[in-house]
Amino acid sequence: MKLVQPILLVLLAVALVVYFARLRSSLLDRAIVLLVVVVGAVFVSFPGASQTIAGWVNVGRGVDLVFYLSIFGLGFYCLVLFSKIRRLEADMTDLARAVAIRDANEPEGES
Amino acid sequence: MGQPGASTFIVVAAYNEGSVLRDTLAPLFRQGYSVVVVDDGSSDDTWTVLRSLPVHALRHPINLGQGAALQTGMDYALKHGAEFVVHFDADGQHPHDQIEEMLAPIRAGQADVVLGCRFLRDEDRRHVPLVKRVVLRAGALVSALMTGVWLKDSHNGFRALSADAVSRIRLTENGFAHATEILRQIRLAGLRYVEIPTTIRYSEYSRAKGQPVTNAFNIVMDLILGRLFR
Repeated sequence: MKLVQPILLVLLAVALVVYFARLRSSLLDRAIVLLVVVVGAVFVSFPGASQTIAGWVNVGRGVDLVFYLSIFGLGFYCLVLFSKIRRLEADMTDLARAVAIRDANEPEGES
Repeated sequence: MGQPGASTFIVVAAYNEGSVLRDTLAPLFRQGYSVVVVDDGSSDDTWTVLRSLPVHALRHPINLGQGAALQTGMDYALKHGAEFVVHFDADGQHPHDQIEEMLAPIRAGQADVVLGCRFLRDEDRRHVPLVKRVVLRAGALVSALMTGVWLKDSHNGFRALSADAVSRIRLTENGFAHATEILRQIRLAGLRYVEIPTTIRYSEYSRAKGQPVTNAFNIVMDLILGRLFR
């Protein structure tokens, strides 16, 4: 493993954390997903492009570069979905709580 | 609110505890406390049992988790004029005769939150099974690193809080990770806290019902993801 590899991995992780903790917006989410799709379309349309770019970043084969990028894209999308689930869960909790408090059964003599 | 203890609300989260609830709750309402039980979407007879007892019975339409149930109970208690809130386990492992002891530092104005601790006295420590002891101590360390609150026993569900403390705490971790979340909020809100020794009585039932020690991993993951996706 070259020294630059763990450094890149750490940078990638930090970028993800910063993005999700501070910079996130649904517009940016969509822009990133769109970017991944566009890049995919470019690679499909110009099969030689991935090999050329892979050469620039020292990855070796073009197919490896596409593979790495798709793992990143999938991981990113998982995190976006996860945060959406958390938000839904929070909304559901508020709703269930409101129902529970509204329909509370008080001990006799207090209601 | 006729009785002297009525402004003390004992908040109990119950999930499928129908078989033990009556025994757990009886000493509480007999002592005159206001008992708030949140049935967290149980599928057994918890709700039927609750409705036959002189307690404030609330029911989540779906199962959300202990943290969510406690927050619901606290919201309800505040709305009904609680001066003090005590978190109490439904499985009967917490000592009901220690509630006043837990409340004393708050009544005396020395603390806003009192946390029960299984590791302050030798006789209490002996009640905790060995594996659980190791996991709990490791959990306390992880909690301390994540919250900045150094406790001997961070996952003890027996707590007493002033109404002011309750109003400044908002649990968003629905599951067991709330036990760490509450410590972080105590620190961020600048609340004064103290640990006092408590005896936890582990029964066959509470051991079977309690969270498995392997759940520690899930709790840590919840906390990390929860911090990331606030």
